[in-house]
Amino acid sequence: MASLSTNSLSFRAPSIQSSRFSQVLRKPSSFQAISFGSFQSLKSLRLQISCAAKPETVQKVSDIVKEQLALSADTALTAESKFSALGADSLDTVEIVMALEEKFNISVEETDAQNITTIQEAADLIEDLVQKKPAA
Amino acid sequence: MLSSLIPLQLPSRMQTHLWYILPNEVNNKSLLKHYTQLLSQHEKDSISGMQSDELNKKNALLARTLVRTTLARYHTNNNDNTVVDPRALKFKKNLYGKPEVDWEVDDTTTNHPKLQFNISHTDSLIACGVTLNAPVGIDVEDKTRKMRHDVLSLAKRFYSSEEVKFLSSVEDTESQRKEFIKLWTLKEAYVKALGKGFSASPFNTFSIIRSDAETYNLCDQAGEWKFRLLELAASSHYAAICIEGEDGQEAMNVIVHKTIPFVEDELISI
Repeated sequence: MASLSTNSLSFRAPSIQSSRFSQVLRKPSSFQAISFGSFQSLKSLRLQISCAAKPETVQKVSDIVKEQLALSADTALTAESKFSALGADSLDTVEIVMALEEKFNISVEETDAQNITTIQEAADLIEDLVQKKPAA
Repeated sequence: MLSSLIPLQLPSRMQTHLWYILPNEVNNKSLLKHYTQLLSQHEKDSISGMQSDELNKKNALLARTLVRTTLARYHTNNNDNTVVDPRALKFKKNLYGKPEVDWEVDDTTTNHPKLQFNISHTDSLIACGVTLNAPVGIDVEDKTRKMRHDVLSLAKRFYSSEEVKFLSSVEDTESQRKEFIKLWTLKEAYVKALGKGFSASPFNTFSIIRSDAETYNLCDQAGEWKFRLLELAASSHYAAICIEGEDGQEAMNVIVHKTIPFVEDELISI
């Protein structure tokens, strides 16, 4: 069970992969109820959770990547799949970023746009940006 | 029996040597096997680890082969003027991830001029640009490449406002697409020449403008960056080259060769 304090999250249970816990993190309303000193700790926390980005997000990113790179529908992509290893060049990457912006209605910073190298990174960035938007 | 690598004359200052391979022309299994033997273990592992089809893996092999054999040819062993072993070259990355040759400072058995290089590839063409002492960036692109998004939308999102203005003034859609790609290769070449990664120079922070049919320049530039845009391989590809020149230097001179390492070189007039 996790306890929340002003600046950090602490855990007793070593395994933090329960989906119920990750749902608590995802709901914007629960952020408003709890005040944090900064989002820094949240971000580093998320990177420690291997399946942090929702599976649906990873799937949507994979679909967009497959479409941009004209990969067959049954190409097996993992979250760690690197765009470059899939045959993407930098123009493909910006097109993927633009498609992600359209799909998720977000705006990616220039410095982030060309730093995304894997499906996981894209999914994490998307969820980060989606959370920062006013609750819909 | 494969011929040995033939030594090359160094590029002069303000000169870029551009070498390219057409993967479609390189299919001989034993030649490809020979190429594989030139690579470092890290390179071999990297290629076999690619989650990609055999063509992409072959192209990755050809890219590393092109870099190693080309750079090796500019270096001879002092005792007999033979080309150094391509396997002996070591590579490292600069602070921002740009690949460069890692010279062994104490090695007196070979001459090692401070060559700089940059590579670029598409599915159908792999190129390596080499200069002496001048930072260089190159980018190649298939002329017929279609974007999934509307060209002007992409430009508005990623290019500078001057460039968007220029592209908007191109009336024909097909010409607009070509101009977009030309600008893409020039902008990529510049960022790669700078060598500080894309974050240091986002595409919308600088403009490349064409002053006449063949001359491209950086708007408001600090430093003397020279650009050339070429068409390679029966005009199937655009190739952009960017090097850092010196104040008052004249335009960049480019020498282009098509090559199949260990087999043949063909001088291309441009």
